[in-house]
Amino acid sequence: MNDKHLSSQFDSDLNDVCSRLMEMGGLVEAQLQRSVSALEKYSLDIIEEVIRVEEKVDALEVEIDHELTAVIARRQPAARDLRLLLAISKITTNLERTGDEAHKIAKRVRSIMKRDGARNIPISDLRVASDLAVNLIQRALDAFVRLDVAAAIDVFKEDDLIDREFKGFTRKLITYMMEDPRTISSSLDLLSIAKAVERVGDHAKNIAEFIIYIVKGTDVRHSSLAHIESVVE
Amino acid sequence: MTDKSHSPPPPTKISVRDMNFYYGKFQALKQINLEIPEHCVTAFIGPSGCGKSTLLRTFNRMFELYPDQRAEGSILLDGENLLDSKQDVALLRARVGMVFQKPTPFPMSIFDNIAFGVNLFENLSRIEMEERVEWALKKAALWNEVKDKLTQSGTSLSGGQQQRLCIARGVAIKPEVLLLDEPCSALDPISTARIEELIAELKKDYTVIIVTHNMQQAARCSDYTAYMYLGDLVEFGKTEQMFLKPTKVETEDYITGRFG
Amino acid sequence: MNPSASLPDARNNARIARFNRRKRFNQAAIALSLVAMLFGMFWLSWILWETLRLGFGSISVAMLTQDTPPPNDPIGEGGLANAMMGSLMMVALATLIGTPIGILTGVYLAEYDPRGKVAMIVRFVNDLLLSAPSIIIGLFVYVIMVVQFKAFSGWAGAVALALIVIPVVIRTTENMLMLIPAGLREAAYALGTPKWKVITRITLTAARAGVLTGILLAVARISGETAPLLFTALNNQFWKANLDGPTANLPVTILQFAMSPYENWQQLAWGGVFLITLAVLGLNILARVLSREK
Repeated sequence: MNDKHLSSQFDSDLNDVCSRLMEMGGLVEAQLQRSVSALEKYSLDIIEEVIRVEEKVDALEVEIDHELTAVIARRQPAARDLRLLLAISKITTNLERTGDEAHKIAKRVRSIMKRDGARNIPISDLRVASDLAVNLIQRALDAFVRLDVAAAIDVFKEDDLIDREFKGFTRKLITYMMEDPRTISSSLDLLSIAKAVERVGDHAKNIAEFIIYIVKGTDVRHSSLAHIESVVE
Repeated sequence: MTDKSHSPPPPTKISVRDMNFYYGKFQALKQINLEIPEHCVTAFIGPSGCGKSTLLRTFNRMFELYPDQRAEGSILLDGENLLDSKQDVALLRARVGMVFQKPTPFPMSIFDNIAFGVNLFENLSRIEMEERVEWALKKAALWNEVKDKLTQSGTSLSGGQQQRLCIARGVAIKPEVLLLDEPCSALDPISTARIEELIAELKKDYTVIIVTHNMQQAARCSDYTAYMYLGDLVEFGKTEQMFLKPTKVETEDYITGRFG
Repeated sequence: MNPSASLPDARNNARIARFNRRKRFNQAAIALSLVAMLFGMFWLSWILWETLRLGFGSISVAMLTQDTPPPNDPIGEGGLANAMMGSLMMVALATLIGTPIGILTGVYLAEYDPRGKVAMIVRFVNDLLLSAPSIIIGLFVYVIMVVQFKAFSGWAGAVALALIVIPVVIRTTENMLMLIPAGLREAAYALGTPKWKVITRITLTAARAGVLTGILLAVARISGETAPLLFTALNNQFWKANLDGPTANLPVTILQFAMSPYENWQQLAWGGVFLITLAVLGLNILARVLSREK
């Protein structure tokens, strides 16, 4: 397949949008990583940082959408280009939501710290899940850069692991809350954090779906892994 | 973004079977096989010289005007081979109308421009003819602009109006198929939009085939699209699919402007 | 001045010098072609002026109504009526013969077989005919008609003039039909129109103004031709309204009268020249008007 358009301006427009998206991806990734380390270290500084970056991410989302509209209006993209631009629009939405989740995690960590009540609840399971989530977002963005369908499918598969960790952790939290009712409010915070981590995994999965859409032209949302694999074949 | 329901394909109006076309020794079309659905707009796209106009001009045997051009194979119109030497060309052209790139009003009044073709095949009274002319001009969305100057020369109209006059002229003899050979390439955007609107209207009654250089035009007004390159039919499919996810890499490269 | 600024300056100066050179060249060329035009115009207007000056004076009722006089009659007696009648009849007949043949041949060349062998040959022969000296055509008709029937006649004159009309009409008809855009022809065929109808109703109609112009120019040309008539129609000093036998006509009369030593004849010759000039001018203007009305 030919990579270059007859119009090099079109190529550079598309490149601009893509690099914007990667910039936004990098920011969200860092934001997520920080909120996870805030959870590990219970550090207020890190939390403030996460909250500050949030605004930048939101601004980037608006900016990318604006650029997308401009490219569509001026170039009337078709086929691969059209799918790419549609997917970028969806991916920005997912990245912005991921940023929201990171923000949510940071705020919950802060409220736990204020209450100073959850230190005795072991959160190693949550850490595993959140590391996995960060890793998945990274890999989803990498797969986008390379338009790598196989990597996208891996992301898709591993999201299940996060879901499993989430369920295990929830069960544990319930037993803690039953044993010691004083931990209930902190446990609920932790539950929200776990939920946020689980959502991040879902966003990574969505991004992976759009990569398949760009490359294969088939919409694989809400379909089974078996179906996706058959499409990719 | 999901594929639409798989409705049954419309019946075939024109079926091209193993058609080859030559300009002298040069082969311009290679083994074309194509089923053109009835009451749909089918667009032929492709770079200059790909054979899209050539293919269009086989459907009314227009190529026969030039002695060194010939077509082999068969083209079935409602199951009858129109390339058959027994086929009466005049009657074929009454069934398969054509509109050209440049507006071609005849050197006569607006009324006579339309009556001319009708008179070739039908014997209408003056009143019937007036009704027919009005009907055709209304079909071509030109009636309101010319109803007060039917006796004026057809060449006095603007380019866009002339082109609609030509469409009215084609429609007036009540063909089954309407061939449009880049009908908007000499027109401004407003006239183009009018004609595209007209095309959408015409497909209710006719099978429309349009050749266009303008891919966006094919995307806007056709139901099916055929992509041709160097005399080959590369891909044929629903327009939506062709512009979102063509199956052939060559098609995708052309449609996204990566060609060449 | 630093070198970085002087370089563009130098380039600019060269550019200005080149521009000035071109301007001078242009002015010189315009001046030359103006002189050439004036040179041509000078002779033309002189001819016109002499024609008007000498011809206008000899115009009189008698000139238009009386027949050619004997030599040495008093000036003002006798006229060119018989010559005008003969010329009109021969030109009309020649046009009547030449136009249909010319148009039909032109249609054949443009519509039926533009690239065929026959067309090539016809076109070549037509070009020869178009540029053949008219005296040769006169001699030819002399041989095939005058010698054959042993008599000069207006009929032979008309045939000789028709032979001049035909190539002009063929050429203009063909060219005018070729100018019709192929799209118009195709559009007519695309409706299922038979060929004869495409030609008569569409292409010839569209080329009408051009074809008519060609005919008018041919008429203008033959109304002044002398050479083909010298051996065919000859001349006659009596009035007659048919083409049998030697027939009076303006060009030959002018020739004969202008060469004569008799003043009344010379006077009439100028009158004839004036009449022909007027007719050719009128035909040319008409042709112009027709071709503009397109």
